[in-house]
Amino acid sequence: MADQRDIVIKTAKVSKSFPGVRALKELDFEVMRGEVHALCGENGAGKSTLMKIIVREYTEDEGDVFIEGQNVKDTGIRGVQTLGLSLIHQDLNLIPMFTVAQNICLGREPLSRLRTIDWKAMRQKAAGFLNEVTSEINVEERVENLSNSQQQMVAIARSLVTSPRILILDEPTARMDLKASNSFFSFLERAKQKGLTVVYISHRLEEIYRICDRITVLRDGRKIVTARTLDLPQTELVKYMLGREITQQVPKERVPIGEVKLSVRSLYPKEKGEDIHFDLRSGEILGIVGSIGSGKSEMARALFGADSKKEGTLSVNGKEVIIGTPRDAIEHGFALIPEERRAEGLVGNESVRKNITLAALKKRFCGGPSWIKQDLEVQTVKEYIKMLGLATPSTEKEVQFLSGGTQQKVVVGKWLMTDASIYILDEPTKGIDVGGKYEIYKLIVDLARQGAGIIFISNELTEVLALCDRILVMFHGRIIKEVDASKANQEELLFYVMGGRDYAETDGNSKRYH
Amino acid sequence: MQKRTVTPKDIINNYGAMFAFIVTVVVFSFTARGFWSGRNLENILIQSTSLGICAFGLTFVLMTGEIDLSYGGVIGLVGAVLAGMLKEGHPIGLVTMVCLSIGLGTGLLNAILIVVLKLPSFLASVAVMFICMGAERVYNQGITTWIRDTEVLAIVQAHIGPVPSLVVYLFILFAICWVFQTQTRFGQYVRGLGENIVAVQEVGIRAMLLKSLVFVIAGLLFAFAGYIETLRIGGAVMYSGKQLLLFVLAACFLGTTIFKAGKANFPGTLIGAFFLYTLLSGFTALGMKFYLVPVAQGLILIIAVAVSSVRRGRIEQVQF
Repeated sequence: MADQRDIVIKTAKVSKSFPGVRALKELDFEVMRGEVHALCGENGAGKSTLMKIIVREYTEDEGDVFIEGQNVKDTGIRGVQTLGLSLIHQDLNLIPMFTVAQNICLGREPLSRLRTIDWKAMRQKAAGFLNEVTSEINVEERVENLSNSQQQMVAIARSLVTSPRILILDEPTARMDLKASNSFFSFLERAKQKGLTVVYISHRLEEIYRICDRITVLRDGRKIVTARTLDLPQTELVKYMLGREITQQVPKERVPIGEVKLSVRSLYPKEKGEDIHFDLRSGEILGIVGSIGSGKSEMARALFGADSKKEGTLSVNGKEVIIGTPRDAIEHGFALIPEERRAEGLVGNESVRKNITLAALKKRFCGGPSWIKQDLEVQTVKEYIKMLGLATPSTEKEVQFLSGGTQQKVVVGKWLMTDASIYILDEPTKGIDVGGKYEIYKLIVDLARQGAGIIFISNELTEVLALCDRILVMFHGRIIKEVDASKANQEELLFYVMGGRDYAETDGNSKRYH
Repeated sequence: MQKRTVTPKDIINNYGAMFAFIVTVVVFSFTARGFWSGRNLENILIQSTSLGICAFGLTFVLMTGEIDLSYGGVIGLVGAVLAGMLKEGHPIGLVTMVCLSIGLGTGLLNAILIVVLKLPSFLASVAVMFICMGAERVYNQGITTWIRDTEVLAIVQAHIGPVPSLVVYLFILFAICWVFQTQTRFGQYVRGLGENIVAVQEVGIRAMLLKSLVFVIAGLLFAFAGYIETLRIGGAVMYSGKQLLLFVLAACFLGTTIFKAGKANFPGTLIGAFFLYTLLSGFTALGMKFYLVPVAQGLILIIAVAVSSVRRGRIEQVQF
């Protein structure tokens, strides 16, 4: 192919294991000078690991990494920076109470003759770098007052301070709004013209096809393909990312779908959402998919009253309700099972009993103003343990010692006890082993059979397709597509999740996205 | 470019406790007889000196997101050594060096325990406080030692122009701390590492070294506070650090509500120190029974902090 001198990053048979996982397997990867190279793959494919090895935050177990032809085995983080490499992490690591200028110049503040900070020079220096990315941010503003998009811009500007020749961006647009990503793309185009090499990790098709010259697809820690963007149709890319069909045992039975339980009209979670309308029927499992930053968790929190900023109307069983706080939500039969169940859904060092009865304590077990009817409580919890099939030796076991799947069932049990009928499950199977997942699917189907309406938020497309009746795809805070789960396939769904518009038309016909 | 907007809310939020301080001063000047007299004001300033200097040390530490309570012992130990060595007839120069070395030593000890061994700063520094208290008790055997050397006492009793020398020391130290904090890289990084240590390390700043340095600086300031306090009183009273323990904390945390909402800062600490002694002095001048003064102080503090918490959730306590 090209001249060896034009290969700026090269990994040769790089492997890396973490306890219990082989993150990368004999991976060969090359980036050419001056190109924008997209790195694609599902969550857990090994993209971030590979980038962290390249910038020497991790060390490979086997294989070699070359930057500008130089083996960087013994080079540290600072060392590769002097080779011209700069990585912008997904978590930006800015200092919120500092100004934009202070953040951009951190560690490289211009000094006056008295060795004090030369604020004027600092503002100019910061503005110089910032203007390469955007002209919409005041360098004297504090970072904590900036939007997510603007903070991302500041992080990018900061990475330019070391005058890098190779820029690695890990999902930079995940937190950006549309306008910000537009100005980000014009920055990328200018950078490219100046000869900067860019490695670009993204989950968005539109961006990849707009800016990238070549694409490398990773899956399960292996490189699947590297191809020129022009030669790789979008549908093809999606197939590479997903790989073979993974058949998963999901106990789907069609539950009769009843009346509308919940209808949502014009919900605006914070600044993110626009035009969110949908209905949820009893017995229905409604899937919601979307990549990071698509606003699906925000929507869940808004529905539950956990985020105060929202408008629009909610109706439960045909009656309009006002939900301002989680307390209102519980009153109307909502149950939220949050993504971070250990932090938000459970009291880890308390017993199974106390966790399960937490939400229903007042309603069901209180005699006087605050007297708990202990006997009744223990009796009921025992019934629930049996009903849910909880793998716990007793009602008093602390939940932190239970498996992830069992913990999740405890959270579900907690809401069952409140007679909830609208369940919002945010990534309920995240970090749970296969057996545990199966149990949770069964539980969800049982809930549906009993007439509950279920909103199932997940990043795992296989389970969404298998379990749900209908699927809504979110992108940039909007619902962009409604899919009938029985008719869709994974590739089509991933295509929409990545912001594709019309699958049937694109498939095999046109190669370019516009 | 977007315009930076400052709303009235921001002002109340950032300067609310400052208003409370001003209102307090105005009310006292009308109600408490002799409050505005030069002598009373001078007393407030002089009394605030050792508290203020000690609180500057703590302010540095709070900025890094840690805490250091060792001053509760260091002040007393330095006082005992100062008075004891003077009594034995050692020259003031040597005595001063020894006193500052105590601060250097305890600062280094704190740095080793907290930065190197990674012990929680609250416990580690309280342990150092107890050790110092024990050392103080062993050194002076529980006896109050008076300083009779008038030349030495003149250091703190002198006036520079019309201003008492102590007040001058306080303001010079304040100016140095403030300039360091706001105008140098050192100050930036100290604040930065308290806010987001990863961000600071990512750009290649040696955060651990910096944090150790902060504990040493704090130790020196604590020792200097003990030195001044002992000279001001004219002798070493047992456990004089314990008296200041909560006052210093109160000054720093009150300071967090004055200028930068929720963040330790030097002007805030200085005003906080004045505020505490103004209340004490004003209520006393009003003829309030001495045992009721703390109650009144407490109430005013609650009001002051509440005023600056207009925007709910905005005042965060400094974490340590």
